[in-house]
Amino acid sequence: MELLQVKNLSFSYPNSQDQALDGVSLNVEQGQFVLVCGASGCGKTTLLRLLKPEVAPFGELKGDIWYDETSLTDLDPRVSATDIGFVSQNPDAQIVTDKVWHELAFGLESLGTDTPTIRRRVGEMASYFGIQNWYHQSTDSLSGGQKQLLNLASVMTMQPKLLLLDEPTAQLDPITASEFLATLHKLNRDLGLTILLVEHRLEEIFPYVDVVMMMSAGHLEFNDEPDKVATSMKGHPLAAGLPSAARIWAGLDLEPPCPLTVRSGRDMLRVSFSHLQGERIPESPTQSSDESDEVIAAADLWFRYDKNLPDVLKGMDIKVRRGEIFGILGGNGTGKTTLLNVLAGLERPYKGKVLIDGKKISAYKRNAIYRNKLALLTQNPAAMFLKKSVREDYYDLLKTMEVGKEEQDSQIEDVAKTIGIESLLDSHPFDLSGGEQQKCALGKLLLTQPEIVLLDEPTKGIDAFAKIMMAELLQALRSDGKTIVLVTHDVEFAAQVSDRCALVFDGSIISQGRPNDFFSDNSFYTTAASRIARDIFPNAILCEEVIALSKGETSTVQAQEKTVQV
Amino acid sequence: MRYFSRFHPLVTLVYFLTVIIFSMFVNHPVMGIIALLGGICFTSVMTSSAEKVSDLKFYIPLFFLISLTNPLFSHNGKTPLFFMNGNAVTLEAIIYGVGIAVMLVGVMMWAKAYSFVMTTDKFLYLFGSIVPQLSLVLSMVLRYVPMLKRQAKQVQKSQKGLGMYSSDSYFDRAKSGMRVMSAVVGWSLEHVVETSKSMKARGYGLKGRTNYSNFRFRKEDGLLLGIIVGLFAMIVVCMTTGALTFAYYPEITPIKTNPMALIAYICFAVLAILPFLIEIGELLRWNYYRSKI
Repeated sequence: MELLQVKNLSFSYPNSQDQALDGVSLNVEQGQFVLVCGASGCGKTTLLRLLKPEVAPFGELKGDIWYDETSLTDLDPRVSATDIGFVSQNPDAQIVTDKVWHELAFGLESLGTDTPTIRRRVGEMASYFGIQNWYHQSTDSLSGGQKQLLNLASVMTMQPKLLLLDEPTAQLDPITASEFLATLHKLNRDLGLTILLVEHRLEEIFPYVDVVMMMSAGHLEFNDEPDKVATSMKGHPLAAGLPSAARIWAGLDLEPPCPLTVRSGRDMLRVSFSHLQGERIPESPTQSSDESDEVIAAADLWFRYDKNLPDVLKGMDIKVRRGEIFGILGGNGTGKTTLLNVLAGLERPYKGKVLIDGKKISAYKRNAIYRNKLALLTQNPAAMFLKKSVREDYYDLLKTMEVGKEEQDSQIEDVAKTIGIESLLDSHPFDLSGGEQQKCALGKLLLTQPEIVLLDEPTKGIDAFAKIMMAELLQALRSDGKTIVLVTHDVEFAAQVSDRCALVFDGSIISQGRPNDFFSDNSFYTTAASRIARDIFPNAILCEEVIALSKGETSTVQAQEKTVQV
Repeated sequence: MRYFSRFHPLVTLVYFLTVIIFSMFVNHPVMGIIALLGGICFTSVMTSSAEKVSDLKFYIPLFFLISLTNPLFSHNGKTPLFFMNGNAVTLEAIIYGVGIAVMLVGVMMWAKAYSFVMTTDKFLYLFGSIVPQLSLVLSMVLRYVPMLKRQAKQVQKSQKGLGMYSSDSYFDRAKSGMRVMSAVVGWSLEHVVETSKSMKARGYGLKGRTNYSNFRFRKEDGLLLGIIVGLFAMIVVCMTTGALTFAYYPEITPIKTNPMALIAYICFAVLAILPFLIEIGELLRWNYYRSKI
């Protein structure tokens, strides 16, 4: 039975010539799990919001939307509030009340449900989602993942029949995100709930869903089962976001069916390439970075936020060489962000010292260290902007740096060109997408012309395509001679860009090395490509490496191997 | 006070109001001492030993400070003991000082107990059953304030990491504070739009909103409320017979020991020690059940 029908839907925002949606037709059957994906600005969020009258954007709408054989325009507000649940991407902004239990009850209170029923529904959902341990806490004390789970649970207490989710994992780290997606899968499987999910993190969700709808420029490009969509997307610009198994399959031009999971990817390699077993990515012959030229050297750092709190850094040692990209990985709460703040001089360790360019951090007077030496991009790019447009914000920074009026424009032009944000300069920072915000924040940081760039989660909330751009950008910065330290949860990204990686656990670095050695030693904390290929190609960690080895093209890999310019 | 906190907020609120009113406004040494002892019993159950030590360090000097201050400044009373700088230090003033100290320390103990038992959500619940809209607004404010603080801190840090506003001059700091504030205000406006959408998406604005709470009024709550009201009534009845009249000045009147006065003392003692008894009773009961397993 069809729960949702969209017929020839077109939509345009006021004051805009472009059609955000252009003749979209689709059907969703009861109990289906539908994934909607596509590049930023393809209209997927607009489509999703139009399906929920309470959050629908204003603009010109043509075509029909039918929910359960009723036109959405005639739908009783009470039915639309209960039956269609909506979860958006910002975990914080959706939470209304100060206590977890109150948030869970909020929707039912609005509907005028009596106390015993609310008690039962809230209790039921709290135990289903494992919330009972933090049921009485304030919402502010929760982690991002818990907040998003709470948002989901407080929609579920209303017992919706259709659940709409707009990039629910965009603000979460990959591990929390995959837990969240697994919860969605469970809801669909256990309760037969119909789910429409907009998402750009495809690696894990792809095998779970029944239907994939791929959108581009306001219309549906593909609408089929996941393996068929993956098959027909061969060579498509958005294919970079597909699961690693599918990307390797596409790169090798193998016969269908297209594998979607690590397990089926492994089977595929075993069947076709077991004769190549043991082939390795060669060590890059030149150890080009000068090992003794350490631009950051910190030894035996101990840090805690308060006298009575436990240590966050416990004897942390870290050395970063000039001109390299150093990736720091690790779980939540292991001290990665704290380490970055300490290296940037924003927090002071109670023991140990940090040398930046051979000089103690405390020896830099006032803000001398932030002038042409070091800059930090914090996790929340929205917090980087103070003004109404990106350009004004840049001017503001240059003014405090005492750059002459004449030079300001040329410097801004230079930076905008380097990172490709010329068209975004006059937008309001809050109107930009996650990836655009991240780039503009990076641009602001580059205006200070730092030698050392510290980045905290630069890929948080950005899609696969923007991630590739970010990787290219970082590599370009490195070839300009900048040193980059990045803290990330994103294993794939770290494997792709880093020269060296380190794993932080329990307040210190427990292992570090070149990505190919580092990740092939880990069995869990590693890339999907490495998990697929490790039986046959022990040290391949990227899809491109697996493809090249399978094709016997090790020389090209070698050519691609990153060389560090000093 | 794990067990006492579990009673319905209405009952605990009535309890605290009763005890605090009696100990503050009935100016009688026996009642004061009972309130103080009850307060000590109550707080001793809810504090750790480290806290007890620091409480003692605070309350004992405070007690003596208050007791000694009165005779230094007040020279009323009929019985001068000695003269200091030409002023009489009277027995009545000393006793009154001690009485006031007993009363004040006792009330402070009860206030501490109040803040421990009557948490914000209980207060909000009681308040909300009178004005439902206001309770939602208060809950939203309590959600927003810490979030704004956190965002302000993050903006500050992000700017500092870029080298803005790390100079020491007060002017710069004030200016940077203003800029961070204005950025946070802009951010919060953006935020509010999304929050209101999330409220609407969950049916806010539909007719007939109810007010949910985790609290249930059980039989025990009714029983305890009855006991409290009963004791309150008994004491008030005794007071109307003049059993609790007492004066420090100009001469200390004798403390009455007629049956009415004795009933009032006993009732107040039972009232003041009630949570402590409940606590001990529940603990004993728990130990008894465990010993049977």
